[in-house]
Amino acid sequence: MIKLEQPLIIVVGAGGVGKTTLAAALALEKARSGDDTLVMTFDPSLRLKDTLGIGEQKDDDEVEVDAGTSGRLTASLLDARRTFDRLIESYAPDEETRRRILGNRFYDHLGGSLAGMMEYMASERLFEVANSGRFDTIVLDTPPTRQALDFLQAPERIVGFLDTGGPKMAAKAWFDEKGKLRATKKLGILGRNVEAFFDRMVGLELLRDMAEFFQAFAPFFDGFRERALEVQKLLRSPETVFVLISGPGPQRVADTLFFARKLKEAGYHLGPVVVNRVHPGEVQTGIAPPGTETDGRQLLKWLGSRDAEGVNHLRDLLGASHPLVEVGLRMDEPTDIESLGDLGTALLG
Amino acid sequence: MRGTTILTRLLELELIVVTGKGGVGKSSISAVLGRLLSDAGRQTLLVEVDPRENLHHLLDVPPSGGELVEVAPRLRVQHLLPRTILDDLVREKLKVGPLVKRILASPIHQHFTEAAPGLKEAAVFGRCLRLLEGHGPRGVPTPDVIVLDAPATGHGASWLGAAQLVSDVISSGPIGHMASLVAEFLADPDRSGVVVVTTGEEMPVQETLEFLETMETRLHRQPELVIANALYPELPEDTPEDPEDSLFDLWVHRRAINEAELDRLSREWDGPVAHLPLLPLDPGPALVGRLGRRLKTELGGGA
Repeated sequence: MIKLEQPLIIVVGAGGVGKTTLAAALALEKARSGDDTLVMTFDPSLRLKDTLGIGEQKDDDEVEVDAGTSGRLTASLLDARRTFDRLIESYAPDEETRRRILGNRFYDHLGGSLAGMMEYMASERLFEVANSGRFDTIVLDTPPTRQALDFLQAPERIVGFLDTGGPKMAAKAWFDEKGKLRATKKLGILGRNVEAFFDRMVGLELLRDMAEFFQAFAPFFDGFRERALEVQKLLRSPETVFVLISGPGPQRVADTLFFARKLKEAGYHLGPVVVNRVHPGEVQTGIAPPGTETDGRQLLKWLGSRDAEGVNHLRDLLGASHPLVEVGLRMDEPTDIESLGDLGTALLG
Repeated sequence: MRGTTILTRLLELELIVVTGKGGVGKSSISAVLGRLLSDAGRQTLLVEVDPRENLHHLLDVPPSGGELVEVAPRLRVQHLLPRTILDDLVREKLKVGPLVKRILASPIHQHFTEAAPGLKEAAVFGRCLRLLEGHGPRGVPTPDVIVLDAPATGHGASWLGAAQLVSDVISSGPIGHMASLVAEFLADPDRSGVVVVTTGEEMPVQETLEFLETMETRLHRQPELVIANALYPELPEDTPEDPEDSLFDLWVHRRAINEAELDRLSREWDGPVAHLPLLPLDPGPALVGRLGRRLKTELGGGA
């Protein structure tokens, strides 16, 4: 059992370890203890979506979950593209800018697939909600990625990108009215080299789309930068705790140690580490009828001792500063309110 | 199951992309396929692109660090970083030393190549294509087939669509040209194929089904094979339920989840599915060997 008093709980870990389910369970337990709680999630299973009542509507609106909790429990499903679109809608200075961005071919390709965009948009959304003061506790599930730190570094990358001057340079009037590339003497030798290089590598068409996109986008840069810095501050503040989820196998333990080290190096506040889906170790085997000591039991026993070893190893290496919580492999995946509640109690009780 | 034909097909391809949700055992399956193909006589190269190397553990060789490592006479493994491939491309196209240095050090180049949609992915496929065409290092046999241990099938952006995306956005220049060649290669069922790995659990199966749909709509293709990995063993017949026996109970439940999910998969996908068991072995050569024999049986190639 662990204690989580911070108003912002960020659930991180490698793909496939059960982050989303545990995030939902934590949020449910928080709401039961009386907090008005929001759980923001990326990738719930169909059954979990059903349970939380999200995903029915087309957008990523917040949905109140009817779970009989004393605090309000709200869930929202994050959609990077929609958040991006909405950002443009609400911050564009005028209708013309809005239309230019949303109709740009570069933006069209960019929204869904630009590296880090999903993560960046999640942090935009987080900033929005955290600032609204509408919730006592926010639990944030992070996108399914091996590089879970991508999410945390997205705001920094955006600031870094804006600070290179690249976007400002791209936003200059590179093309004249006829769509021909203007002479770029003022940019100096590096500017000319880079430009000539891009021209040779990718052709003028893409450059034209990009230039148009960045021109239309220029009014947003300052706001982006400002909010990205705020999010950075928020993520490192004592108000924020990271819960690191691990799987039980030896490969997973290595992943988890890697994350834990990276999180600490980057100055984030790492709280408890949860090892999820641990096979039972000491088990009541009953009186097995002759001939039933088949593959399945032997396999489960082996998995039980493998997991126990992995958990001990992880506990040793993490040291006393990070409480380690084991969550046993359940008979069935927790997807309804009742089993999520059990899981939440096992975690926070 | 159309076993023999699948094995035959796998043996004819030049590129096999192995994908699936994170944590389902993609690397193990890639190693298994690499062994299977090289044992059958194909000159095989295993390529991995995850920033942290895994394959060497499974094959019991030293880590690649970007170099070709020989595993067996017809099997090699190499770790490729998309970033390095893109930098190599700059070197090759510009040729002028000081200019290359300035471009590579320029933050704009770094951000552009890091952020441009699909570029890194397309570059990896581009490198594979070049290796298959015999542009690899001298003195190393040209591979007949490359098995690519691809990153997880994330939502939305799929690796396989990347080249098409790049080729749509960048219609001219060497990158555009490379991307359109790669897109053509990936669309050619005689040359490239996909193996999707899943486990018998809800999320991996869901992601597999979503991936099958994306592949169909964006590439008009289907995978060669879906491999359901790490399945709990079948239950013996006539075992009386013992309320005291929690271990048996857990087995019953986990196996039931596997079966329900495999049913769901087969309702929506009528292509071949190979079943591989969860084994009491840590990732390593022994696991690869056992899974390999089992897969061969599953594909109808004899034990």
